[in-house]
Amino acid sequence: MEPVALTALATSLAVGMAAGFVMHRSDFCLAGAFRDLFLFRDARRLRALVLLVTASAALFELLRLGGALPSYPFPWFAPPAATSIIGGCLFGIGMVLAGGCVVGVLYKLGGGSAPAALALFGLLAGSAVYAELHPYWQQAAAATTLHGAAVTVPQLTGTAPFWWVAALTVAGGGLCRRWRRQGLWRTPAIHAEGYLPLWLTALVLTGLGVISVFGTGMPMGVTTSYAKAAAFLENLVVPGHVAGLTYFSGQPLLHTLPHGGAQLAGGAGPTLDVVALIQFPLIAGIVLGAALSAWRLDEFQPRWRLSPRQAATVFAGGVIMALGSRMTPGCNVWHLLGGLPLLTLQSLLFLLGLLPGAWLGGRLLTRLAAR
Amino acid sequence: MSVEEIELDIRGQVCPSCLLLSLREINRHHAALAADRLRLTILTDSRDATGTIPGAAANMGLAAAVAKVEGHYRITVEGQRESQ
Repeated sequence: MEPVALTALATSLAVGMAAGFVMHRSDFCLAGAFRDLFLFRDARRLRALVLLVTASAALFELLRLGGALPSYPFPWFAPPAATSIIGGCLFGIGMVLAGGCVVGVLYKLGGGSAPAALALFGLLAGSAVYAELHPYWQQAAAATTLHGAAVTVPQLTGTAPFWWVAALTVAGGGLCRRWRRQGLWRTPAIHAEGYLPLWLTALVLTGLGVISVFGTGMPMGVTTSYAKAAAFLENLVVPGHVAGLTYFSGQPLLHTLPHGGAQLAGGAGPTLDVVALIQFPLIAGIVLGAALSAWRLDEFQPRWRLSPRQAATVFAGGVIMALGSRMTPGCNVWHLLGGLPLLTLQSLLFLLGLLPGAWLGGRLLTRLAAR
Repeated sequence: MSVEEIELDIRGQVCPSCLLLSLREINRHHAALAADRLRLTILTDSRDATGTIPGAAANMGLAAAVAKVEGHYRITVEGQRESQ
């Protein structure tokens, strides 16, 4: 393996481990950020997400201005299509039903949550289902493309990114300062051992996002690898069918590793490509980091206490979330932590769908699972 | 006066069912809890619930104490007077 590829792999693993560790300590659940706002009028995690997006936007822009950002915008973000709204909505429903988003289920799994393992199976199953639908969805996305070239808001408006990011930073920073004056970063007091405040984990994740961009050339993201894992499993059973699926046979994702790396291709198919190189170590790292945190706290104690109805809800949530992430395309971590700070149009449309999706997911959850 | 004890074991539950189930139980027994006739003990492995359940109890005029026991958390909810 070339040194730059090894660097990318090691960076992903290290970033994943650190992210998993701090997310477990804070229970930094991005699904909860939206769900709790609608279900409990609790905006603690959403405030932390605002801090994370604001700080990431400022840092990425500083790096761009300094010529240190490997690419602008990040790779694999495409011009917007209205299908991203539907994908975001499905993702919102799914993450609430599953009890965590695509990264949330990883740190919860590492922390010893048995339901998270079930949600993960749902994510794999949903990814496999999407592969069957992909040609039709691709046509829908092409038919609903809103702009042929612009990927970000600054590109759409022909304005320098600095001005948009400055506005975002002033607005987000102002909110964070106001919440600090109101004492909202400290309530309620969490009594868990080794707890890290949400704001601190938000800032750590901001730093990890920057490290990920430096080391791999892109922000954190995992869901294409869920599809890849599904393809590997399906390939064991029906290799002929997998080979015939467009979604699993193409390698449409091109990426040049930073620090002089070659351009590599990748996709969702059952091959060890650039997607696997960057995302598999990140996934493993998040699980390992959370497991390390739980083990040090003596809290790694998997238990199963779900009713059949709850188990079905969690699994279905995973399936729906995977469908949403593939339809968007991209997950909440990819869009909220990587795309939104750069004001990518795809990410804004994803968020537009995510909000009603999370609300609807909460309504469904209280009827289906919390009995 | 004897205090009745109820235990709610929500370890292994998926979020946010632990909070929803706890709120339902607290609501169901609120009068007895407030009158110090009942003590509700909740066993949870949700780290976040160690803040949200006591916070919700406080909003309902009840007191809650959190202790870590053998890798999980025990949250005791009772009337304000008992805990003072």
